Amino acid sequence: MNTADALPTRCEVLVVGSGAGGATTAAVLAEAGIDVVVVEEGEWIAQGEIVPFSLEQMERQYRSGGVTVALGRPGIAYTEGRCVGGGTEINSGLYRRPPADVLDRWRDQYGIADFAPEEFDSIADEVEEELSVRTVPGAVTPSSGLLRDGSDALGWRQSEIPRWMEYPEGGSATSGRRRSMTETYLPRARRAGARVVSGCRVRRLRQAGHGVVVDLEVAGARREVLADHVFVCGGAIQTPALLQRSGLRRDVGASLAIHPTVKLSARFPDEVNVGDDVPVHQVKEFAPNLSFGGSASHPGLLALALSDEWPKFGQVVESWRHMSVFYAAITSEGRGRVDALPGFQDPVVTYRLTRRDRDLLRAGLNRLALVMLEAGATEVYPSYRGAPVVRGRRDLADLAARFSANRASVMTVHLCSTVPMGESDRCPVDSFGAVKAADRITVNDASLLPDAPGVNPQAAVMAIAIRNARHFAARRSGGRT
Amino acid sequence: MALLTVLHAPFADVLIAHDMPGLPAARRARSVDFAVGRIALMPGPTRVGVDLIAVAVRALMVVLGGARTVRLLAPVTLPLLGEYVRLHRSLAYAYVWETWPDTAVDGTPA
Repeated sequence: MNTADALPTRCEVLVVGSGAGGATTAAVLAEAGIDVVVVEEGEWIAQGEIVPFSLEQMERQYRSGGVTVALGRPGIAYTEGRCVGGGTEINSGLYRRPPADVLDRWRDQYGIADFAPEEFDSIADEVEEELSVRTVPGAVTPSSGLLRDGSDALGWRQSEIPRWMEYPEGGSATSGRRRSMTETYLPRARRAGARVVSGCRVRRLRQAGHGVVVDLEVAGARREVLADHVFVCGGAIQTPALLQRSGLRRDVGASLAIHPTVKLSARFPDEVNVGDDVPVHQVKEFAPNLSFGGSASHPGLLALALSDEWPKFGQVVESWRHMSVFYAAITSEGRGRVDALPGFQDPVVTYRLTRRDRDLLRAGLNRLALVMLEAGATEVYPSYRGAPVVRGRRDLADLAARFSANRASVMTVHLCSTVPMGESDRCPVDSFGAVKAADRITVNDASLLPDAPGVNPQAAVMAIAIRNARHFAARRSGGRT
Repeated sequence: MALLTVLHAPFADVLIAHDMPGLPAARRARSVDFAVGRIALMPGPTRVGVDLIAVAVRALMVVLGGARTVRLLAPVTLPLLGEYVRLHRSLAYAYVWETWPDTAVDGTPA
């Protein structure tokens, strides 16, 4: 990685952010012969240096130590990566292409030009090859098997979701090494000449003649870089905040979309806890509206999941080896906002669930509890204040009756759609991410997705970012000749 | 950081002692430090709100005393005050059981 000394005063393209959008953008542009500088606010931490899903990881690789919340009733906890590689370094690595009907809807409703499914699929093929997207070798973890078995017992559709993982010869489900951006696209970008500078926080962008002045902080000092073009790839929260700080506010940050989730913990007769990994099975019987999966479940996270009803549930934390945490995720009709405030580095994030969202969260938690019972759970502990212990089907009506989204621990790890792309008037960027109200600035990350795709969005983010970067490189090449 | 400690640490200390009476003092002190440290990392606008609630809670502690304040607030589910208690609890529980997984529910070490 390059140090702050490598930060030039001029470059052709400056990429803000190094996650799924920024890393792929940098690789495509650098390989097209463009002089690229990537600036990243967080530090470079190699895969394997920190225990996944640990509090140490949250402190070093998550924004604000993982204590971030979208304000509302209820508040919705969310997480953002803040490290070289962004969210790809810290997430589950589960990979799903967005369904074809979602891509069609985005194209038709938002007027996205030249958005051919064949091109998308071709790029997704490349991404999957680069990231070694695959299913686990051999047997899955016990908690993953519970999702599979519980779903099968009910006759519900489930599947193993592939991950971007590399496994050693003869390796097991938990021996994989994440093929994140620091292992894939960022090394590619650097081999092609890109510079990646960590510890740089971009304050704002300013148009200046035939370029963009990037005002940033690095190693405690203010610096300016003049770039011919800037790609903003800071993710669905930081990207709109940066645009707003730069005076670009119209339709920016007003359409945050997420997949809200509610959780429960379940206890089983056998030891099922895997602290530093997540289950790979998901129940898709009610997709896209509802999906069920598993979370990291080390004892700290288990205690967190039990904390809403601690006087009643707390005792069971001593059985953590027999427990695991699971979630129900919904496609939400609600929307949120990201608003940069003067005088603050961080924006205010808000989100409002609709009545339908609340009903869906209740239904999701109930059905997830049923999956757990069918998988052999002796008790289920839903994560909301006032929740009952569920010991059998007869308790499910009580779970549903007492549930209120306002009393639940709702969270999300999928954030998108704050700068939706398309030719529609409501889109602040065009079909390839170029900001309509400014020259030489392109957005290229999860902000562009017109809405939440109903599956992990990072496949869509990477494919769209590569598409847009290639479009830019082709036009630039055409301009030169 | 010193101001944050003054604002948040006393309530965190009494709350953890209330919830986990068996947790040794040294572990409780580390848990309080962790909670205050994470509050310090919160996004600015959110932290301003959390700090304002802490001022009100500190005032209550001066009037009622720490133990009575915690007994009063521990079951509260109202927005803001309830969320403040929940924030401290979630940080403390996550820290205690990640750091010492075999801790009993009352905080007693295994």
